[in-house]
Amino acid sequence: MAVMLAGSVARADDAPQPNPAPAPPQSAVQSVAPEDAEAILGQRVTDPDGKDIGRLVDVLVDANGQPQAAVIDFGGFMGVGNRKIAVHWSALRFNPADANHKVTLDMTPDQIKAAPEFRNPNKAASVVTPPDNNATSP
Amino acid sequence: MQRFFRPGGQRALDLVNFFVADVQTGFGPFVAVYLTSHKWTQIEIGFALTLGTMTSLISQLPAGVLVDSIRNKRVAASGALICIITAALLLAILPAQLPVLVAQILHGFASCVLTPAIAAISLHLAGHAALGERLGRNARFASIGNGLAAAIMGATGAYFSSRFVFVLTAALCVPALVALWAVGAGPHARAQTTSRALDMSGLKRLLSDRRLLIFAICVMLFHLSNAAMLPLAGAAVTMRAGHFANIIIAACIVVPQVFVALLSPWVGRTAAKIGRKRLMLLGWGALPVRGLLLAVLPGSWLLIAGQAVSGLSAAVFGVLLPLLSADLTLGTSHFNLCMGILGLALYLGAAASTTISGGIADSAGMEAAFLALAGIGALAFAMVWLLMPETRPTEAELSLPVRE
Repeated sequence: MAVMLAGSVARADDAPQPNPAPAPPQSAVQSVAPEDAEAILGQRVTDPDGKDIGRLVDVLVDANGQPQAAVIDFGGFMGVGNRKIAVHWSALRFNPADANHKVTLDMTPDQIKAAPEFRNPNKAASVVTPPDNNATSP
Repeated sequence: MQRFFRPGGQRALDLVNFFVADVQTGFGPFVAVYLTSHKWTQIEIGFALTLGTMTSLISQLPAGVLVDSIRNKRVAASGALICIITAALLLAILPAQLPVLVAQILHGFASCVLTPAIAAISLHLAGHAALGERLGRNARFASIGNGLAAAIMGATGAYFSSRFVFVLTAALCVPALVALWAVGAGPHARAQTTSRALDMSGLKRLLSDRRLLIFAICVMLFHLSNAAMLPLAGAAVTMRAGHFANIIIAACIVVPQVFVALLSPWVGRTAAKIGRKRLMLLGWGALPVRGLLLAVLPGSWLLIAGQAVSGLSAAVFGVLLPLLSADLTLGTSHFNLCMGILGLALYLGAAASTTISGGIADSAGMEAAFLALAGIGALAFAMVWLLMPETRPTEAELSLPVRE
């Protein structure tokens, strides 16, 4: 899941295939520079001011493989007091060109504090959506 | 250096406890943070942590038997420390699937050997009559080590690299080994050693001792109430406090250690003077108090006060667990097996504690979870009060020759 972006670019040729061909199509290999697509699992997440607030630990995708939300592990000291929150994909900004590959979360500390904890991946997740995206809230 | 460690290896044993506690700090919940930073998925991390816990559960009794059968307990403790060096280096250098799982198994087993072995060395060094005082010193230096290591590793892990924590862990095993060998052989070394690898009659005698069964249940209930309180308090802090959360959680970890360091020597001396049971009532009685405080205290800074109460229970528990093992196995050669049985009870209680409180926090909220843990603590206190007999041996029992 970490290399989800790589998955979409390393796909076989882009022509749509209505019927599955009996012979396996030849796959194309494309090279993707780290500035164009980055691995995000385990990456540090910062607030808009650049302060470290947690790590991205999982991505929730829909049936089409489109990312819907990211699970972010907040806080904690030596692993004590961690808290996982699912945030809407649109609340994240990615910056592959940056050498540190940091992910920025557009949420205030109060919004993060108020967010319900993400616990069981098999149950309905409460995904936090930033105010300006409320229309697309799941 | 030999001159510094004289007389009698007491100073060296202080340092063993200090460095071993340092070494153990990095393993534990921090492993999850470390593996996350190396792009491990949540499922893989869960498996690695469960494997470590399962190893600790399964190894308690065999490790106790093993340490009982090794004449020189320092050899057992050194072997365990070498396993822990290997585990720390594997984690630091090769954070991939197989090396990490091997490291988890190595560390789980080594810890089950190391804890009873250090208690046995203390017993050999001090003798039964002075054991309470010696265990008080052990707990004091272990908590200083623990508190310092948590503060230093937390700071360096956050600002430096999480890998550094395990490099430091491996490095700190070296002074632990040096201090271990500076302890010297105690006068009791032979007496507490069985010559058979598995002594079935001894096991039967131990398991049919009603006092041990009651104490094991008290230990299990203690950790059923205790183990989940810190993680739960940490989660409460992260939820309530914004930017200062990490500092408050650090204080929640370090402040109780300060109280353990201050109280442990007193606990050890008092156990020798007035007996074990009244101290048990004090330590076990602090559990429901702490649970209630954590449930009702508002804000996040005040939670540190609730956590400070745990210093009292931790000091009592840390001294009395090995002390009662020695009481219950006085004159036999099953001290380490008894430590293993109690270790098993401890792990079972701790494992169930996190699961139960997590479930309650999920469905009924954090206050309900703290209250439930306080309730279990009250039950544990009642068990000690109503059923636990005094185990302090009489002068006559202390002078009896050793049975084999």
